[in-house]
Amino acid sequence: MKRMTAMKLSALAIAAAVSLSGCASSGGSNADGMVSKLGDNEKSVSLLGWPGYAEKDWVAPFESSTGCKVTFKSYGTSDEALTLFKTGDYDAVAASGDLTLRLIAGKNVQPLNTDLMPNYANVYSFLKDRSWNSADGKTYGVPHGYGANLLMYNTDVVKPAPTSWDVVFDKASAYKGKVTAYDSPIYLADAALYLMKHDTTLGITNPYALDETQLAAAVDLLKQQRQNIGEYWSDYVKTGQSFETGNTVVGTTWQVIVNAMAKGTKVKAIMPSEGATGWSDSWMISSSAKSPNCAYQWLNYIDSPKANAMAVEYFGEAPVTQDACQYTSDKTFCDSYHAGDAAYSDKIWYWTTPIAKCLDGRTDVKCTDYQAWTKAWQQIKG
Amino acid sequence: MVENFAISLRGLKKTFGTTTAVDNLDLDIASGEFFSMLGPSGSGKTTVLRLIAGFEQPTAGTISLLGQDVTASAPFDRDVNTVFQDYALFPHMNVLENVGYGLRVRGINKDGRNRLALEALETVRLAQLGERKPSELSGGQRQRVALARAIAVKPKVLLLDEPLGALDLKLREQMQIELKELQRELGITFIFVTHDQEEALSLSDRVAVFNAGRIEQLGTPRELYENPASEFVAKFVGTTNLLEPDQTQLLFGVSKRASLRPEKIRVVETGGTQAVILEVSYLGAAQRLLVKTDNGVQLTVLATAEERVFAREQTVHLQMSATDLVSLEP
Amino acid sequence: MRDSASVSELQANPVVRVSSARRISTLLYARAKLRLALLLAAPVFWLGLVYIAALLAMFVTALYSVDSFTGDIRPGFNLDNIASLFTDPLYVNVTMRTLGVALLVTVVDVLIALPIAFFMAKVASPRLQRILVIAVLMPLWASYLVKAYAWRSVLSNTGLAQWLLQPLGLSTPGYGIPAVVITLGYLWLPYVILPIYAGLERVPNSLLEASSDLGAKTWATLRLVVFPMLVPAVIAGSIFSFSLSLGDYITVNIVGGPNQMLGNLVYTNIGTANNLPMAATVALVPVVIMFGYLAAVRRTGALDNL
Repeated sequence: MKRMTAMKLSALAIAAAVSLSGCASSGGSNADGMVSKLGDNEKSVSLLGWPGYAEKDWVAPFESSTGCKVTFKSYGTSDEALTLFKTGDYDAVAASGDLTLRLIAGKNVQPLNTDLMPNYANVYSFLKDRSWNSADGKTYGVPHGYGANLLMYNTDVVKPAPTSWDVVFDKASAYKGKVTAYDSPIYLADAALYLMKHDTTLGITNPYALDETQLAAAVDLLKQQRQNIGEYWSDYVKTGQSFETGNTVVGTTWQVIVNAMAKGTKVKAIMPSEGATGWSDSWMISSSAKSPNCAYQWLNYIDSPKANAMAVEYFGEAPVTQDACQYTSDKTFCDSYHAGDAAYSDKIWYWTTPIAKCLDGRTDVKCTDYQAWTKAWQQIKG
Repeated sequence: MVENFAISLRGLKKTFGTTTAVDNLDLDIASGEFFSMLGPSGSGKTTVLRLIAGFEQPTAGTISLLGQDVTASAPFDRDVNTVFQDYALFPHMNVLENVGYGLRVRGINKDGRNRLALEALETVRLAQLGERKPSELSGGQRQRVALARAIAVKPKVLLLDEPLGALDLKLREQMQIELKELQRELGITFIFVTHDQEEALSLSDRVAVFNAGRIEQLGTPRELYENPASEFVAKFVGTTNLLEPDQTQLLFGVSKRASLRPEKIRVVETGGTQAVILEVSYLGAAQRLLVKTDNGVQLTVLATAEERVFAREQTVHLQMSATDLVSLEP
Repeated sequence: MRDSASVSELQANPVVRVSSARRISTLLYARAKLRLALLLAAPVFWLGLVYIAALLAMFVTALYSVDSFTGDIRPGFNLDNIASLFTDPLYVNVTMRTLGVALLVTVVDVLIALPIAFFMAKVASPRLQRILVIAVLMPLWASYLVKAYAWRSVLSNTGLAQWLLQPLGLSTPGYGIPAVVITLGYLWLPYVILPIYAGLERVPNSLLEASSDLGAKTWATLRLVVFPMLVPAVIAGSIFSFSLSLGDYITVNIVGGPNQMLGNLVYTNIGTANNLPMAATVALVPVVIMFGYLAAVRRTGALDNL
């Protein structure tokens, strides 16, 4: 039903656009730079995304149905993605929340007309128009998949079974040299989340909106943690091996790492009582896209149940529509990733780029931006 | 009795793979002797020297130094020193440090070893060059530094491995004299390896002629020259006319294989054997003639320079005596 | 007719070719300066553009700054970056750590390389010598990453190091600075062995014999003759291990645990922090250290023999 409505709406929008611009083939846009109707598909589309976000299995059907030849480049970190995307060579990018606001602020991406993407209507509502994929009431990204940064521990060594992040913070010294943490400035949010629950005097309400004092507290916490860190990780294969060999016994992880663990490894991953940080990745279209029509087609396609199921199962994250769950090859997939579980999702603080304008709505202070976090992160690692 | 000898070799044998470099050698060298080992390259003379120094281990046999068996001793435990063919001076040390090296490793302090090194340098008349690096010296100077370095530690026996081979003729002759004087002055045993027969004859008390790992003949220079024991020695020591039995028959009326030294043949005005000159070489002090006698024997003749001027195709008369023939019959 | 024509062609053609080549040769022979200019053009261009210009560009970039809002580079003359190298404890600590690791790797490599090179050059038979040279070179054919990850596996809690050391009551050093020193030491060892081996090859055997002949025991010969003569070769080798260690950032990522070296700071400044000027500033540190090292070495005169 919803879908029908959306299609009707988009048809209306197209009709309106045609009547406004009188241009039938090349598409059109309104005053905001938002596309109001789609034109003919171009011959190719150039995509940028995390590794595994555009694989042959679901790219090939897209190419044959739309005629848009896909070229895909993967990146290793959000920061690398920013550098690559700024070259202007890409029509669309799959960005995590720690990148999206930078792209929006830099006017590297364009606002989206969701009416042109019928599949968007079926996306879980808790993923739509959030702080990391929208700005000023405009939608800038369509969801690709989401997941949480979980707490993994070695069940033989870490006893009793932890329920809180305190095992990697206040109680980490018990596992000195065997604690791991994600190697990125955005990990400061994990410390901020912990402080939000355990030190209310700081007044943190959003781990991505930290003023100077709050950031300093998070830095202090991570500097203490640094004494107990065995290694920081950014390569998910490497951290998996460390858990297998016992070099690491406790720390942050992703569901995909847990799933890839060798059989018999005594580890468990949980969502601690404080909740967790996480990611919700969005596809965005370049403000200078050479193939905007194909890019729109791709954004619509990636939210279609079959394609979304293949993509998220490949990477190891929750799909963005309930319909996708019927198409996963592992029938328990949606359960193990808590797909559509709004309560679970509510415990996740999705990665968002910290900016000077406080994301929690405070106007009396200036918040610390991503560059400040980067500098702080270097100081923590020392 | 054995104690009288500086060096005694008994049944000494050294093989490299399938080649036998030294073959069952017995040799005694007296203290204070200037002893030469003469032979073509590959004859085993250098290997004997290296065995005495201890750089090689013999396959069989013993080496005694002043009556003491040193066969199993390391080079640094043997009271012999070597002057190397390439001098083997340490390039990173100056002359004084090179000469003082043996004293340094014996634990003599700097003042002591500098004094002794200077003394050794004075014996080779290089005391003024102590601060130089080996690379700043001429070939002859390096030679003398190597000598000074070897004698600075006052060894019982000095081993010299073709030490003059790299020097030009004039320098070599000068060094030969100096070596002889030095040996007399120091009174230590010199064992001298050379392939230059003239050098061996002029310097040595005794010479051993080596061939294919064995001693072909052992004796004083005069004995070797006057009475070579074999064709090899006759040819290797000095130049000679090797005559076959039919040739001696023609010239002397006796039939035997024999050697006739060129200087034993005299060129006379008349009489004797008539011959035609095929080739003349002017040597300064002498003239060497290649002649062919009437009865068809080719001979080398050494005539003094002032006798007269000879020319090719000139007819000369030769006087020679059967008593000068050295029989090479076994 | 046809035959004679082709013959005359055959004769004519080489003459034309030779004469034009000959003209150029004659010209070059007569103009020594032109000859020199043509000869040097390519290397000078290469050296000038690729080395000097790149170094200068890096130095100039270090003086720029970054607009914190747009992330764009602002050209200008700004010494803040360079000052922070000396005032910011992060840069001071990491520089010291990197320097320490590079020195330790160099010392360890030289100590291991000396006996191996000595055995290769002076003890082994010619046949064994060839085999050993190949054996030393062989690890260079394998990928750097494969070797670093192999050490990660060896040094892990369940790895080979633990298995070997446990019976002795010891345990694997795990991931950290010792692991970085071990891995870098392994990676750069061939670069240290080869120059020392080549240097030893140039020491005539007669020098060792002369030393022994003059009464020096093995250790004295090594100390007084071999080592002093090897100084230039050891320095050549140490330049490799020292400079390669100074710039490394991958090994420390793989086996270094939570530690970072100068290379990591360059990397994060380019990648994460999007601060190219600061990256250029940090990249200057190893360059300056190497210049200092080479200047110190030059004073000892060791470079004259390289």
